Amino acid sequence: MTKHLWERLLEAKSRLDPVQSKYRVLFEDPSEPDEPAKVLVPDPNWMAAALEGDILPPIDTYQRDRLVPDGQPKEHPYAEPIGAMTEEEAIEYLIMKDIDPAVWRDYQGNRTIMKIVPVEMIPSDRTFRNAWVISQPEEIA
Amino acid sequence: MSTLNVSNITDGTDTVGTSYVVNGSAKAWVNFNGTGTIAIRDSQGVSGLVDNGTGDYTSNFTSGFSAVDYTGTTGSSWDTVTSGVINFNRAVGSSGYSTTSLFRMQNVVVDSTTNRTGLDVNYLYAVFHGDLA
Repeated sequence: MTKHLWERLLEAKSRLDPVQSKYRVLFEDPSEPDEPAKVLVPDPNWMAAALEGDILPPIDTYQRDRLVPDGQPKEHPYAEPIGAMTEEEAIEYLIMKDIDPAVWRDYQGNRTIMKIVPVEMIPSDRTFRNAWVISQPEEIA
Repeated sequence: MSTLNVSNITDGTDTVGTSYVVNGSAKAWVNFNGTGTIAIRDSQGVSGLVDNGTGDYTSNFTSGFSAVDYTGTTGSSWDTVTSGVINFNRAVGSSGYSTTSLFRMQNVVVDSTTNRTGLDVNYLYAVFHGDLA
């Protein structure tokens, strides 16, 4: 029987070195237009598990579990783990897991509201953090 | 990896059910820096952290909770002196701010007029207890 995901994560942390990703995901939430751009930071222990394989469940189990009411059994904890991912595949998986589908799947507007960028492109000066927006292609050209 | 399958744990005097140990363990925790480029320093059970803005973060869980009545305990530390009271706690907002798979939290300074202003500080910590899905 497949072990609970939490147990698999505990075991993975005990034997895998954390991996700081070289990527960040910039995104804007169309349901919160007044908020600044957000930055998704991959967790180093999670990334190590993703690169190792046989720990994380298939991404579609998380997506189905979004629709499961509180207190009802969810699929992702005991789902058969998937194999190793590349770092790029892991970032795509993380987007689908941690960012609302309204951003990466359903948005049909003209703005670019999501970008995968190298971590070096994220400003380290946070003085005006609440004014960050994603540069649009016409602004760059 | 071998598995020790026992119902109780004892030190010879006191005995406690294994379920108390498992259920009482933190199911997720995260320690991250809040200045410069945000990065997670160490964690357990967290897939990613969203930097929502100044002093505003969302922790996403790899293994989700069974219901939204789990708890999150938060703390922060800083070097610079700031007037007012610094409070790092669960964000107050829409119902989507805390679900079984994520927990949004804000570090704010509350000044004498009770204004709440987001504040970036050196280190932030969050621990989550509850029943897993």
